[in-house]
Amino acid sequence: MELLKKLISRRRFLQVSGAGTAAGAAVVGSGGLGIGQLSTLKEATAATVDSNTVVNKSICAQCPARCGIDVYTTNGKVHAIYGNAGHPIANGKGCPKMHLGTYILYDPDRFKGPMKRTNPKKGRDEDPKFVPITWDEAWQTVADRMNTLRDKGESHRFGLFFGRGWGATDVGVTLAPMAKLYGSPNIGIGHSSMCSDGSVLAKQCTDGNASYSSYDYRNANYLLMFGANFLESFRPYNNNLQVWGYIRGEKAPKTRVTAVDVHMNQTLSASDRALIIKPGTDGALALAIAHVILTEGLWDRNFVGNFADGQNHFKAGEPVDTAFNEKWTQGLTEWWNVELKDRTPKWAEGVTTIPADLIVKTAREFATTKPAIALFERGAHNHSNGVLNGMAIHSLNALVGSLFAEGGLAYQMGPAYGPAPANPDDHLDDYAKNGPHKDVPRIDLKGHEDGYLFAKNMLQEVPKNHLASKPYKMDTVMFYMTNPVFSSPDATAWEKMLAEVFVIDTSPFPGETAMMADLILPDSTYLERWQDAPTYPFQGWPLAQIRTPAIKPLYDTQTFGNTLIEIGKRLKGPASEYYAKLENVENILRHLAKGFETTPGDNGVNSFESWVEKGVWYKKPYHWRQVRGEFFEWDGQGWNKPMSAEDVKKKLLKTESGRFEFKSSYLDSKRDWVLEKTGRDPAKFNFPHWEEPRYTGSGDLHFVTSKNAMHAEGRSANLPNAIALMQPTAGGRRQVCAEVHPSVAKAKGFKDGDLIRIKSTLGEITAVARVTELTRPDTIVLPFEHGHWAHGRWAKGRGSHVDSIIDNQSDRISGMANYYTGKVTVEKA
Amino acid sequence: MAKWGMVIDLEKCTGCQACSTACQMENSRLPGENYQDVLYYTEGRQPTPQLKWFPRPCMHCEEPSCMHVCPTKATYKTEDGVVLIDWDKCIGCKYCMIACPYGVRFYTDEKALIEPNIKQVFKGDGDLSWNPPYKGPQQDPKHGVGIQPNGVVSKCNFCYHKISKAPKGTADLDESNPELVEYVPACVRTCAPKARYFGDLDNPNSQVSRLISDKQGTRLLDHTGNKPQVYYLTGGGAAAAAVPGTRANKKA
Amino acid sequence: MATQTHGSGAVTAVMMAGLAGLVISLAIAFTNLVSGGHSAFNTGSDGVSWGLPVVNYVFFALTSTGLTLVASVAMTFGNKAWYPIAKRCVWLSLVTLVAGFASLAMELGHPFRMLWAIPLNAQLVSQLNWMGIFYAVFLVLGILKFMRIHGGDWNSSGSKQIGLAALVTELLAGGMLGMAFGAMAMRPMWYGNLVPLYFILTAACTGGAFAVLVTCLSYGGPDNMPEPVRKLMQGSLPMAFAALLGLTILVIGYRTVIGLWSNADGLQVWDAVVASPWYWVEAALLIGAFFLLLQRKALAVAAVMVIGGFFIDRYDFVIGGQLLPLFKGSWVPDLIAYTPSTTEWMLTLLAFSIAFFGWALGEKMLKLDAAPQD
Repeated sequence: MELLKKLISRRRFLQVSGAGTAAGAAVVGSGGLGIGQLSTLKEATAATVDSNTVVNKSICAQCPARCGIDVYTTNGKVHAIYGNAGHPIANGKGCPKMHLGTYILYDPDRFKGPMKRTNPKKGRDEDPKFVPITWDEAWQTVADRMNTLRDKGESHRFGLFFGRGWGATDVGVTLAPMAKLYGSPNIGIGHSSMCSDGSVLAKQCTDGNASYSSYDYRNANYLLMFGANFLESFRPYNNNLQVWGYIRGEKAPKTRVTAVDVHMNQTLSASDRALIIKPGTDGALALAIAHVILTEGLWDRNFVGNFADGQNHFKAGEPVDTAFNEKWTQGLTEWWNVELKDRTPKWAEGVTTIPADLIVKTAREFATTKPAIALFERGAHNHSNGVLNGMAIHSLNALVGSLFAEGGLAYQMGPAYGPAPANPDDHLDDYAKNGPHKDVPRIDLKGHEDGYLFAKNMLQEVPKNHLASKPYKMDTVMFYMTNPVFSSPDATAWEKMLAEVFVIDTSPFPGETAMMADLILPDSTYLERWQDAPTYPFQGWPLAQIRTPAIKPLYDTQTFGNTLIEIGKRLKGPASEYYAKLENVENILRHLAKGFETTPGDNGVNSFESWVEKGVWYKKPYHWRQVRGEFFEWDGQGWNKPMSAEDVKKKLLKTESGRFEFKSSYLDSKRDWVLEKTGRDPAKFNFPHWEEPRYTGSGDLHFVTSKNAMHAEGRSANLPNAIALMQPTAGGRRQVCAEVHPSVAKAKGFKDGDLIRIKSTLGEITAVARVTELTRPDTIVLPFEHGHWAHGRWAKGRGSHVDSIIDNQSDRISGMANYYTGKVTVEKA
Repeated sequence: MAKWGMVIDLEKCTGCQACSTACQMENSRLPGENYQDVLYYTEGRQPTPQLKWFPRPCMHCEEPSCMHVCPTKATYKTEDGVVLIDWDKCIGCKYCMIACPYGVRFYTDEKALIEPNIKQVFKGDGDLSWNPPYKGPQQDPKHGVGIQPNGVVSKCNFCYHKISKAPKGTADLDESNPELVEYVPACVRTCAPKARYFGDLDNPNSQVSRLISDKQGTRLLDHTGNKPQVYYLTGGGAAAAAVPGTRANKKA
Repeated sequence: MATQTHGSGAVTAVMMAGLAGLVISLAIAFTNLVSGGHSAFNTGSDGVSWGLPVVNYVFFALTSTGLTLVASVAMTFGNKAWYPIAKRCVWLSLVTLVAGFASLAMELGHPFRMLWAIPLNAQLVSQLNWMGIFYAVFLVLGILKFMRIHGGDWNSSGSKQIGLAALVTELLAGGMLGMAFGAMAMRPMWYGNLVPLYFILTAACTGGAFAVLVTCLSYGGPDNMPEPVRKLMQGSLPMAFAALLGLTILVIGYRTVIGLWSNADGLQVWDAVVASPWYWVEAALLIGAFFLLLQRKALAVAAVMVIGGFFIDRYDFVIGGQLLPLFKGSWVPDLIAYTPSTTEWMLTLLAFSIAFFGWALGEKMLKLDAAPQD
């Protein structure tokens, strides 16, 4: 209180003195930018209501959005977390997950320090009999195993698999270089194929950017959303909610929204139009919308171009042979002729169950209420036809000219980081350069003809390949921020694999992977550690935030980045020099921050210290913009510098043609492989086109395991305060319930609240039935969250483990796991 | 003296429950017993079902029936219009829970919603019914703030430990103002779509008064005569406001 | 007049049973309450805040009012034929009130705090405040009155005035208890300005039932009753009781039909009340008792039936008014599922045990069959 008063009076003084007037206005206008510019660092961080309270900047860890947070610590206890007002994603606000942080920190089931397994038997019912060890023993054990493998020329049999990587300190500078330095293609297999690679590949195939998009929602007048559940689970969730309040409650004109999903959820409810679609058929809907846009002549002529004669020749069912001068797109009339001409709303109604008139209305609104954005995520692409669905949806953005436009979508720039303390290329020995690992495929067969040639990662394939010894068997596997034993499709396959190999888990929580582990190297939780995180694609301009520890680690834990450095230091050969130079995570951060000295952020961050103080560095604007079919680059004042076609190709539309490709050259580059593995029509295979999804299982109900708003990267399962709020729309309170339509309940003879059995080809689980009109009669929705057989006292034994009955089928192009494509039967348990 | 009140814009509310989790964090609430809930209702049939929700804090009524029934005056109204419970006077008769038309009160000693009971994990001592390591520094039983003792009733206190420190004469506790942010109730401060506003209802120039006027703020269950100091905006204009809220009309 | 001649086996048996019930219920209830606090109850903030212990309280507190009414027939309204049961009723009105408060005390969060917090803070608009005051005043007046008649002073003006004052406070207390529910506009199942009257009417029924039951138990049957008692028990008492009960059955019927007929939000709970077999058990018990009373047969059985029937009625009233959630959305079912816990049932046993043990004790030691000599 006293400190705050001092701060306020200090600011008033400065305002009076003149120096602070402008900045003082900025305080009110932009949520706190002013303080730091005026005051010294220590004072600003101490601005709280209680003089014993310390507020420090960090980054939320409950989703990939990376919101800046203010962490309130009083007398050594963290008791509150609010959004960082100076952080452009958080803006002082929070989503429901942000406020769970203290429960995660003080989770009574956390690991208290490094441990090793003493029970050689592994399995669900085996107590690992962990005994505490020193950190030195822990690191040395890992390094010894790695060194031994390397001595045998089998370094590829060491794997390091990770899920939510954050930035340079845990992945970029520590984990990723280890693959090169040590020599294993299996270091750094990420979880992206179980995350959202379907959208990454859809973008890569069409506009050449292997990335998620950045979105300018605030300037959009129309949003068409496919299976992204904007208001429950789409990142950056907190900012999405802020955007929603603005575009729906304040912006003039109000932004119109149509949302597509397989059940009534908060996004659909809050939108102007809800389209409850048959699972896996989003692509058909998008194709029909494209069909209407073309037949009604609503495409953006500035971006797409026009028929040479200025007439519209797109007529349903009729091929086009008139010349069409495309401007920034490639293959429109070909696409029409091989696919779109027959994709009428009536046809789509038969596929999607969405009435044709609603499709027409949606298409007209979307194409005439510009700027308009079509966005999609897992709901649309977690199917065998996922990339095709994604390409079809993303093509709508091209048709209405939203790419790189104000109120449209673009991609993300990286932060102006300084160089890392060391360069791995300076520390490669002969083995690293030419060892046998150079000639072996990755265990997940990513990028391999027998596997997934286009995929980014194929973590879900690891146990299958290992167990079949194709291409080989792993010896030692280490996990960071992922628990595939629980969350992978056909999750139980991991148990078989991990029983055979030496397992190192770094989670601070006693998850299923940890229960299969031989060594536990517990990471510090997010409120206890240093870390950097460049933003996920947000609004395009670069953004990098920093975690600073709110308190010292409660237990004997070590930040994962430091664990890797310590292991690296113990490796044979020059790799150890590299890691010795890194020193520790904090040192890496200091080096990264050097980049800000030459490129100060908009909030004045120009050093490590100011980065720590503000919690974020960012620099607006996004440098490129498309205006009515012309591309411009930022020149420091405005988007004034016209871009040549070559510039656009190099920086924005990174396809072979330098245009948005309805006809994908990227897919064409591996034409034979695609045709062989997918059996697709050679005439259509590289166009967005309709293909029936290959549903797994033979049941009569689509099995959709959605993500709920309260899902905090898996931690919610052991937080009673989150469990109680987990499934608000359907009322799942003690555990999530299976949303089932009354017609199903009636046919199968069960009622609301009954226990039901859900059967797939892989097995069966039980769930509490919520008989509700929220979900389609042909679909059962059971959010993933529970069904843990470990993970803590509240998680264990609660609810249903959905991933144990989801087949491991992936989109052959993207490698995206088909989580939402199962078909199951239900019966009263 | 201010008469603190809240405005909740249902047109902006996304039903995300950040208000509830911010509340449980700030007030160290037990699982499922947040001082404020978001309530969800389903009506209609596929393919056109309705999903509706509305957030429901304590209404801090002008005529609080909970206060009138309390035999010991443990429930009272402050000069600045907030309905509070003095835990030192509460005898735990729960008549207030019976008499509240809005169902926003909690009795300490009840079965845990989620087992194992977290109160047994973080056991209380002395006056505290439990003692989580993440509890806030504030403990003020006279105003029903902090960890509640056994045998008493608790409820939303508009984050009294925050708002009571606001500078006198403040029209609106606006979280976007860095000078006021620490005095803003947790649910209002965090609300990402900015569906919540907190200010002085007695000040005709406050933003809350302006919003109630411009957007025809309505009050929940107005027919009970409790006269809530929480107003809802339905985006429906004057016509919507003319319809008194009832239990049947769930979103307003 | 009959004096201590009876002291029959029934009284001793009831006393022993009451004592056993007291010990068992206290042991179990205390064990559960000490270990788990009020989580030993199945009440919850999500719905039923007032559970079976409050039902017990309402039942016995109103029974106390009813017994005072029965006693007043002779002592205040001068019907001398009712004198033979008057002292018993006065004693029992005290004992049942203690039984009711015992259950309530175990239910309150801070029963001892109540003792100072209510008087020191007196919320003048709170029904519970006044109810507490009236019952407390009655307790004093009732004890004074009992001491007077125990000392043989039945008819002095002082004694009569104390009796009248006791009757008035009991009626105000019972009525205030009715107001505690009847004033709840937000709970239509309870709401209504006639609830106090309904409470007093039903109070008279349970009071009458207890009076009849303990009188029968005291003597072991009509054959053992002294003439004035037998005359009363075979004459005006069952007739008056039948008339009262018949009227009450009608009122319950009207309440039910209004509850089922009206669309007012909150009254849907009547569907559930009527769908429960207990409602029909109650109906069968009360109607059956009505016919037994009309025929002046098996009065003790009739009394037990009335006690059982009205216990169900109190349960349906107190619990039913809370079963329909106020604003809980998808989190809770349309109707709250509430079943009393073992601990709660133990408080019911406790209250009945106190009532019967206390009565038997009085019967043994306090000459409850005494009546004025004239």
